[in-house]
Amino acid sequence: MERFLQSPIKDLIGRFPALGTILEDYAIGCVPCSVGTCLLRDIVEIHNLSPGDEEELMGRIAAVVAPGQAVAIPRSGRDRAAGASKVSYSPPMKMLVEEHRRILRFVALIPALTAGLDVESGEGRERILDAVDFIRSYADRFHHAKEEDLLFACFDEGLEILQVMLEDHRRGRVCVQGVLDALGRRDAGEVSRNFSEYGEILTEHIRKEDEILYPWMDRNLTTRQVGELFARFGAVDETFLEAGQRYEAFVAGLEARYLDAKAEVVR
Amino acid sequence: MSEFCGCPGSRMLEFQQEDTPEGGAEVRIASQLRQWPIQLHLVSPEAPYFQGADVLLAADCAAFAMGNFHNEHLKGKGLAIACPKLDGGQEAYVAKIKALFEKARINTLTVLIMQVPCCHGLVALATEALRGSSRKVPVRCMVASLKGEVLQEDWL
Ligand SMILES: [Fe+2]
Ligand SMILES: [Fe+2]
Repeated sequence: MERFLQSPIKDLIGRFPALGTILEDYAIGCVPCSVGTCLLRDIVEIHNLSPGDEEELMGRIAAVVAPGQAVAIPRSGRDRAAGASKVSYSPPMKMLVEEHRRILRFVALIPALTAGLDVESGEGRERILDAVDFIRSYADRFHHAKEEDLLFACFDEGLEILQVMLEDHRRGRVCVQGVLDALGRRDAGEVSRNFSEYGEILTEHIRKEDEILYPWMDRNLTTRQVGELFARFGAVDETFLEAGQRYEAFVAGLEARYLDAKAEVVR
Repeated sequence: MSEFCGCPGSRMLEFQQEDTPEGGAEVRIASQLRQWPIQLHLVSPEAPYFQGADVLLAADCAAFAMGNFHNEHLKGKGLAIACPKLDGGQEAYVAKIKALFEKARINTLTVLIMQVPCCHGLVALATEALRGSSRKVPVRCMVASLKGEVLQEDWL
């Protein structure tokens, strides 16, 4: 069992497809994950199941990977004293979750943004470049940099879960470059496809962070680290104050343009 | 006796407990206290041990209820204690907590209270101080049961 706990989840699901279904029963969605290099042990720990659920899950996994054998079922061994039934983010995590809300407001507008894409006129191209600027400056240079330079730095950089998150950031950047390349070729279809793929990656990425990564980090950060992260995030926000307002106005402007227009049509 | 209907904070209870080896005198647990004074009226936000520190604001009863108070909760922190039910001059408490945020520029504040309703007054004082403070600091509330277990732990 120990050997399986140390194996990457994608390999395990490849060998034992039934594991995917079992994990889904506990709302652990590893099957659609693009990377799948997390170790089974980390996955079980990170999802913070109740002791009863964890024992049951481990028993079901053992029955699949080592059928008919008596196996010792190890416990993830984390401290449960604090209890963790509902998500209550620490203040620095709350800041990041707020930023996710703004990014998701933008992502929600991608279908409308790409519906009538104009890659020919100056105004149409400007609109695409503005969206790229939001992604690159706000979502990436501001938000992802806080994660990569400050938050992830509190943990062992070799952790698979962090590698998965960094890979998502990297894939997002590839999409943005794809938008710019396609815009250079005046290829509306490819611009649209790259924007949509970016939206899908970020939606799933933010869900993973909000529901799994951040709560797990909060359980493992020391009080000292929480205070220090809060101060460091605050210092970044300070330097980004004017830009932050500008990007809020940008998203609100897009919402006014596309959502209000949609409401008009419905009326 | 019929159901108790007075103040839960003063309700009389007795816990039946076996003596455990850890409770015996043969195990010496080093104090984690690194300052004096500790009472909230007496402490000074100017004190060096508060500057940039993680501070524990504990209800008076908490240290008696929690067997591992020193190692689990006090270790590495500056300390202030108060009783929101019995202490006078609580406006001064708000001003002092605010000074910890603004002048001592503490890193975090952990408010450790007992589960009895009146003890939540200490969290209310910290919340009021935070609201009035020009500098924001992460504040965490921990609630201990009468037997010293952590029942709840939340960032405000
Ligand atoms: Fe991220
Ligand atoms: Fe994020």
